[in-house]
Amino acid sequence: MAEVSLKHIRKVYPNTEKKRTIRGGSEKQHNLLVTDEGVLAVQDFNLEIADREFVVLVGPSGCGKSTTLRMVAGLEDISGGELRIGGKLMNDVAPKDRDIAMVFQSYALYPHMTVRDNLAFPLKLRKLPQDEIDAKVNEAAEILGITEYLDRKPKALSGGQRQRVAIGRAIVREPKVLLMDEPLSNLDAKLRNQMRAEIIKLRQRIDTTFIYVTHDQTEAMTLGDRIVIMKDGVVQQVGTPQEVFDHPANLFVSGFIGVPQMNYFDAELVRTDDEYEVRVGGIAVVPNAEKQARLLSHDVQSQPIMLGIRPEHVSLLGETGQTLHGTVEVSEMMGSSVHLHLVSLGQDVIVIVQTTDIMGARKEGFSIAQDVAFTFGGDLIHMFSKADERNLEY
Amino acid sequence: MMNKEQTLAAEQRRKTILSAVLAVICVIYVLPVVAVVINSFKQNTFVKTETFALPTEQSYAGFDNFITGMTFGNYPFASSVLYSTVITILSTALILIFCSMAAWYIARVSSKFCKIIYYLCVFSMVVPFQMVMFTLSKTADALKLNTPWTIPIVYLGFGAGLAIFMFVGFVKSIPLEIEEAAAIDGCGPVRTFFSVVLPMLKPTLISVGILEIMWVWNDYLLPVLVLDINQYRTIPIHIQYLKGSYGTVDLGATMALILLSIIPVIAFYLAAQKHIIKGVAAGAVKG
Repeated sequence: MAEVSLKHIRKVYPNTEKKRTIRGGSEKQHNLLVTDEGVLAVQDFNLEIADREFVVLVGPSGCGKSTTLRMVAGLEDISGGELRIGGKLMNDVAPKDRDIAMVFQSYALYPHMTVRDNLAFPLKLRKLPQDEIDAKVNEAAEILGITEYLDRKPKALSGGQRQRVAIGRAIVREPKVLLMDEPLSNLDAKLRNQMRAEIIKLRQRIDTTFIYVTHDQTEAMTLGDRIVIMKDGVVQQVGTPQEVFDHPANLFVSGFIGVPQMNYFDAELVRTDDEYEVRVGGIAVVPNAEKQARLLSHDVQSQPIMLGIRPEHVSLLGETGQTLHGTVEVSEMMGSSVHLHLVSLGQDVIVIVQTTDIMGARKEGFSIAQDVAFTFGGDLIHMFSKADERNLEY
Repeated sequence: MMNKEQTLAAEQRRKTILSAVLAVICVIYVLPVVAVVINSFKQNTFVKTETFALPTEQSYAGFDNFITGMTFGNYPFASSVLYSTVITILSTALILIFCSMAAWYIARVSSKFCKIIYYLCVFSMVVPFQMVMFTLSKTADALKLNTPWTIPIVYLGFGAGLAIFMFVGFVKSIPLEIEEAAAIDGCGPVRTFFSVVLPMLKPTLISVGILEIMWVWNDYLLPVLVLDINQYRTIPIHIQYLKGSYGTVDLGATMALILLSIIPVIAFYLAAQKHIIKGVAAGAVKG
């Protein structure tokens, strides 16, 4: 239970140590800023995390999210900035004195100890009386449903069970902040969904601040009160799941959040006096009043833009004269909906079509190379500057 | 079908040949030990003439050889056993404790200093003992490392190379996350080492322990050079004294003492064998 404050946090790896210290394995294509000092793995990270908030750091590998978490944990030195936990400056405090707990992707259980000893270990180190340790261990084991495995060694457990033990070891001492570094990445898809639901439940049972790192946007959306999207060591956007989905700050965020990915078109933003319209492929889309006002408040001029529209916001029932055309390339049957992959205006476009309407009437299927017409309204479009990929509304 | 049968037959043949070769190698390895066992129960005169024959009624000596060997000369065999035991246990304990700690540091801290130390250790395995033995014995004398209680320090120096090499290899295979988890759970470096790293090193501790025990227990040259032989004799030195002044050797007694001296090592090896399990860290990380 504590608020966490990160102010201008940065991490620099001296050039010579770059290869050795940057963690996470296959981080090949990062465009991290390299200065005279070294490689900037995290640049100017600012975040105020409220007490009991669940914050998710998300981004592609090599974006600095794990490094940020490890700096909060005290496993990496902080190259610059201020880290405060519960109001106290923690930059140079040893991990054990920060009153945090961490769940690792690889579980990191002590292989020579039984599950019970694994859970009790942090309590023993704090010299709690034995009966209190037993009570806490049993309680944590019960919360996580691992009571029957308490006397086994970690190697006799399955992946999901091991991850529960790892979470148990973290919650047993009621830390101020619970850090989780991709805790579900080693589990198979089904177990991952199950554990995700359990983390949500767990969160309601224990009062603590969560910082959760993942590369999976679904986990980020479902778990987080707020999401921090990072790329190349730079924070791209901070907001609630709904905010980042509805109002992505830039092209990267819009593409990263949401499955399937957002569709993009080369388009032209035209300003006539104080009215805007977007011209794309021969049709004109007029942004709604809200968007008009925002564009106007930033005094946005006519310019070429990237027009973004989410697959679920594209409609196949276009009005005459205001439609774009595309050819079906792939039709993916998902059960309740079909993901249509079209080629239109030289771009790949994905359209989600519900297979049944609300009355239960089935729609006909789509064949490959079929020509379809589609359209979208001005309420749900996103306009990104071609120059700096920023969302023009913000 | 034919082909399959042919390959199966070929496989069978290959296995038979391999078994035969391995059997021969086995015999070559075991024969000296068997010879020692047989001859330790034979009278001295028969050892040379009927080396590989089983003891007959005529040649059987019972436990005479053991008694002769242990009571020969005026130096008590019990003292030799005591000194050998003290030196072996102290040396192995020192090597295991210091080398595992050093190896943990070398494996986890990446600095020039650690690299240099590591390569020095590896290099020390290449240097033959004979090259350094005279300067070493002088130094050991000067530093008063010439008693059974201090010679383990000399053994620590000689044993460190192999031990550190083996420990570093194993420590590197332990995932760093486990130590990081320990740091977060509340361990300082010392606690992390003794509560978390050392228990995981158990298989390596045992393998290194066996190697060092066999070496120190059987070592002859180093104690002969360093220790005051009139005062302190280890078992190998004691055996050497069974040689008479005119070149006569009581071979029966020698065999008996050799047999006695290899029993503890073999017993320890058999007892520890089941603990040498690979991958004790398996199950700690991933699945």
